[in-house]
Amino acid sequence: MAFLELNGISKRFSADFVAVEHFDMKVEKGEFISFLGPSGCGKTTTLRMIAGFEFPTTGSIWLDGKDITTRPPNQRHLGMVFQSYALFPNMTVADNIGFGLKVANKPKNEIDVRVDEMLDLIHMADKRRSYPYQLSGGQQQRVALARALAIHPQVLLLDEPLSALDAKIRLELRSEIRRIQQMLGITTIFVTHDQEEALSISDRTVVMSAGRIEQAGTPFQIYNFPETEFVAQFVGTLNTLNAEVVDPAGGILRLEGQNIETSQARDGLSKNERVMIAIRPERISFTADGKKPNVITCTIKNITFLGSIVRIQAKVGSALFNMDTFNNPFLELPKIGDVAEVTFSREAVLVLDRRADQQTSSNA
Amino acid sequence: MKRTAVWNSIWNWFWLVLGILYFMLPLLSTLIFSLQKRRNEISLAAYQSAFADPEFLHTFSFSLELAVLTIIFAILLIVPTAFWVHLYLPRLRPVMELLTLLPFVIPAIILVFGIIGIYSRPPLLLTVNKATTTGLLVAGYIVLSLPYLYRSVDLGLRAMDVRNLTEAAQSLGASWPRILFRIILPNLRTALLSGALLTLAIVVGEVTLATFLGLPAFGPYLFLVGQHLAYEPAALSLVSFGLTWAAMGIISLLTSGVTGRQAQIGGGH
Repeated sequence: MAFLELNGISKRFSADFVAVEHFDMKVEKGEFISFLGPSGCGKTTTLRMIAGFEFPTTGSIWLDGKDITTRPPNQRHLGMVFQSYALFPNMTVADNIGFGLKVANKPKNEIDVRVDEMLDLIHMADKRRSYPYQLSGGQQQRVALARALAIHPQVLLLDEPLSALDAKIRLELRSEIRRIQQMLGITTIFVTHDQEEALSISDRTVVMSAGRIEQAGTPFQIYNFPETEFVAQFVGTLNTLNAEVVDPAGGILRLEGQNIETSQARDGLSKNERVMIAIRPERISFTADGKKPNVITCTIKNITFLGSIVRIQAKVGSALFNMDTFNNPFLELPKIGDVAEVTFSREAVLVLDRRADQQTSSNA
Repeated sequence: MKRTAVWNSIWNWFWLVLGILYFMLPLLSTLIFSLQKRRNEISLAAYQSAFADPEFLHTFSFSLELAVLTIIFAILLIVPTAFWVHLYLPRLRPVMELLTLLPFVIPAIILVFGIIGIYSRPPLLLTVNKATTTGLLVAGYIVLSLPYLYRSVDLGLRAMDVRNLTEAAQSLGASWPRILFRIILPNLRTALLSGALLTLAIVVGEVTLATFLGLPAFGPYLFLVGQHLAYEPAALSLVSFGLTWAAMGIISLLTSGVTGRQAQIGGGH
């Protein structure tokens, strides 16, 4: 049995609103799992069910071999960090961190020692006597993290802890959370709608949509091998294009009148069937060598500088797609309106689960 | 640009002075009147006469005691109720608001006759001795204070991020009483203080309930004196006004250590 197990849990708030549906997950001790998805996909509800703030309509939650499905939140021994920090405004930083230990009736000297440890861990020993309103958002969230960790929780739950912070602090605190998690080896569930955050910080990512798991896997698997159109669209920047199956066995497809190849075998495809394919913008490059596989001719429609990356929009037939190339001072770029040849590997062409609709789209 | 600023400044001062005059003129008139007990002479005779009456201090201290009891029991009733409604029954908030506004619609005279009608006959015969009648009076005062105290608490809770603070405390193992007394109440002190001050002012000046329940409160005393004497009621009004403000000041001072460090939830980055 895994350290934390969610067995077929569902949460129904009303007759016509199901927030989470048949959610299965096994988390090993020390793992860092991210729940990733858009607003309303059920990720926070799932976290709240683990925390005990909501009870599942069906299914069970097991922690360290014990069924905690209906156990009240104050008896679960889990640490929780909220998006809004939720520090107690009437208490100092030290009192906030020591609150859980005081609740557990720990001796005062033990509380003081643990509070000092936590303050050192978050590099805020000098803020011991400060009140929350005297701290910046990043500092408040560090204290919230220390407060959650002070009680030696079995699992650390983080509900969009970085969403209220500005970009620079968010990056810093993200690394900080990962550093602390790895140092303590604590099992962690992290909820976010930010794909970069989820991919950079987790051992495994669970992508959710409409209350269901779309795909669960390592960030590498999620990014490089999306299994559904939703994951492909939601994680990273992706071109999704309509193609027609020419040779199912050989993996040959037709894209806007030009043949391309895929290495991905999809069972059940038949000749002339329309499918949706996905290609990451960074997998496409210019080529002058027409002999390579997957060379298509396109027209340059737009060029956008994004700092370290230059994004080029091109058109093949009626379909638009993006390609990314690293920026450098010696980069030779085509002009808008130029006809160019681009290429991508067979492995870069992903055939998505959902059958293509009639409209070709490009997701930037 | 400069001329606009000058006009703005004059306009601001005009409204400030008008506001001060609106509040201060009646008090000033009362003060001048209270000092004219002796013909053609400014004196404190009305004050001396008022203080000489032992009933003054007796009724005033009794009303203060009632005010303190009212505040304590009203807080014990209102805070957990408002907290629960905020947390689990937010749809009932409009109903609660309507209920707590009823004292504005139902006159005190209706309330007191309702109390007398129910509690002056078996099986709930509570108007037979002073202790139980005082209890009824405090209960009546709690009803009268509802619009002020509930609104203050409600606003305080709205400003507090109650849900997350409660859940944070729960995740740290805290029980409901601990959450209420260690997290919610301390962070409601400013709201409670303003509600308590209003309750104090209402109780000290209230006439109808105390008169019909036959208890020696300050409101009926002031009313009685006003029917027989001319200058003393003015002096007493000013003294009670000053004492009420002094009581408010003491409460404010006692809680300033805490209220001074009220938090900004979700502060800057």
